[in-house]
Amino acid sequence: MRQPGTYSGILTANMAGRMGPHSLPLARIKKIMKKSGDDVKMISGEAPIVFSKACELFIEELTRRSWMITMQGKRRTLHKDDVASAVVATDLFDFLVNLVDGSTTTTTTTRSTTTNETEITEK
Amino acid sequence: MESGGFHGYNNNLPNSSSAGMKLIEMNMRLSEINNNNNTSEDNECTVREQDRFMPIANVIRIMRKILPPHAKISDDAKETIQECVSEYISFITGEANERCQREQRKTITAEDVLWAMSKLGFDDYIEPLTVYLHRYREMEGERGSIRGEPLVKRPVHEFHALAGGTSGGVAAYAPAAATYHHHHQGFYGGGGGAAMGGGYFKDANNNINVAGGSSQAAAHHTVTNGHHHEAAAYAHDK
Repeated sequence: MRQPGTYSGILTANMAGRMGPHSLPLARIKKIMKKSGDDVKMISGEAPIVFSKACELFIEELTRRSWMITMQGKRRTLHKDDVASAVVATDLFDFLVNLVDGSTTTTTTTRSTTTNETEITEK
Repeated sequence: MESGGFHGYNNNLPNSSSAGMKLIEMNMRLSEINNNNNTSEDNECTVREQDRFMPIANVIRIMRKILPPHAKISDDAKETIQECVSEYISFITGEANERCQREQRKTITAEDVLWAMSKLGFDDYIEPLTVYLHRYREMEGERGSIRGEPLVKRPVHEFHALAGGTSGGVAAYAPAAATYHHHHQGFYGGGGGAAMGGGYFKDANNNINVAGGSSQAAAHHTVTNGHHHEAAAYAHDK
């Protein structure tokens, strides 16, 4: 049976389904880019593609750091507070500090008041 | 009681059923903001929540890649990360846009995005993103150039053997054009080998024809029945 070689496995795993349909929707990325400022004019076709991968890396890093905090608390459910702690602990994520912390105030977005219908918090 | 384990998409149903509620909340909040701040475009009130964020299913899927199977994610954590992604895009785009304006260019390019990421501290992302972008460009180039030509599907050698003939780094990924097809077979040659000054392809008899370029590639190649493993890593039968 054919096995992927070490490197071609990596390449195909990364390429298949990623280069074709991208992981994150390009049109949505473009919308968010446009909304980042009034004066955003034109966006090249490749820029959202770079972002689709960058956002993936970003989510991975943020998740990884948040999960480390969850583990320190000997818990198995990743909570918003873990994300907030990870943001605060990482210089790179300074731009997120208001977003994760400011959601306790009324003017910023608290998106849902009902939480955790689907998750059992701890087991 | 939730059946535990690794069902990334179980959570989408409850999310979608409460999406309507979130939309209402969102619109209410937007009206509030508009009233308070007097900023306004009327269409702010009708901006749909889903337009502001990456789809939560995608976000969850990426998170699940990182987390152990037993891990659970609270809904508010998912949403927070969703928001963070949008903030990240805005943050980088803002910086990239500023650079464009300084240089009096109208279009934000991929290079501008990469530059902004580096400037804002995301240096670790630059290399994988550059590779990703180069692969994309290779594939797009190949798609354009091979139209109408017979597409010869042949097992293609491991790229790393070819990498011996390159300067490494990004150029080493040029053969990735060959992996465009799902099972690492593909037509390799021509444009795909450009970065290496030529590629090679196998003809019907599995003979290697080197189209200009690195003779090292031929030397490293082992032809075994369409299996193309290098460096003794695998034993293949048949």
